[in-house]
Amino acid sequence: MLSGKNVILTGSAGGIGKKTLKALAENGANIWACARKPTKEFEIYIDELKKKYNVQIVPVYFDFQDEQQIKEAVKFIRSQKKTVDGLVNNAGMTYNALFQMTSIEKMREVFEINFFGQFIFTQYVVKLMMRQKSGSIINIGSSAALDGNSGRSIYGASKAAILCITKSLSEELSSYNIRVNAIAPGITDTNMVEASMTEEVILETINNTKLKRIGKPDEIANAILFYVSDFSSYVTGQILRVDGGLG
Amino acid sequence: MTNLEKYNQVFVECLEITESALNADLIYNSVEQWDSIGHMAMIAELEDTFDIMIDTEDVIDFSSYEKGKDILAKYDVEL
Repeated sequence: MLSGKNVILTGSAGGIGKKTLKALAENGANIWACARKPTKEFEIYIDELKKKYNVQIVPVYFDFQDEQQIKEAVKFIRSQKKTVDGLVNNAGMTYNALFQMTSIEKMREVFEINFFGQFIFTQYVVKLMMRQKSGSIINIGSSAALDGNSGRSIYGASKAAILCITKSLSEELSSYNIRVNAIAPGITDTNMVEASMTEEVILETINNTKLKRIGKPDEIANAILFYVSDFSSYVTGQILRVDGGLG
Repeated sequence: MTNLEKYNQVFVECLEITESALNADLIYNSVEQWDSIGHMAMIAELEDTFDIMIDTEDVIDFSSYEKGKDILAKYDVEL
């Protein structure tokens, strides 16, 4: 499905990221696997995927809170002189707290990682895509950005900003044949969810889905595959909810 | 080809103008092709020509033919 395509994936060491990395490799894509810092486990995972699927996976380590590091990362990718067919903006942090219990420092941190860092990174990557007059950008939002859940005002706002950018960018980049779409996952079985939600809230959220179960990271990865691939060649500016019918 | 000749060539090709138009009066939006889309295409061409990556602040500040020379100097491109 993605043979010969080169894709940048951020947040590739996280729950959804690792499954997306596997799905991209499985379908023949070469990947720049971006993560904050190297770990032995992640390096082994990459090596296994490379061998199993005979694709190139190049780890790129940088911190989304450091603009200089972001720039160096794109410089490195650019230096490889390959087309950039896809960009999956998956990196992010979660944060749960009541609005009135949220400090401005925490708010800035969440926006720095979930929005500003990705914004800057995308600005640089878009320049590479504009040269080749093609590309697909996939932003990972959240159902929290659309539904406005209690305790998720700041996280939801940061993801809503990403969804808004998706719509605007899809217009601005259409003349360059660059598609921009977003995915809004609902509750998904990752460490991030386990660490940030109580069991009671998890069960309540699951009960609010039509499918009455938690989503699997592979199911988010499958939606990402669709948007990276040419199967979505006539789709842009869309937000796809992958949430088991939450609501 | 000197760096200045390369710089001029990018302007001539991207903005579809003649070399005689390359002067202090050539500013952003002063010719039809130098709109926001043409601007980004020209920035991309300059990056490729001189193998540099221009910061977003400089992309925004790149408001004229002359200003562009100052900006490229920041990236060690001597014109």
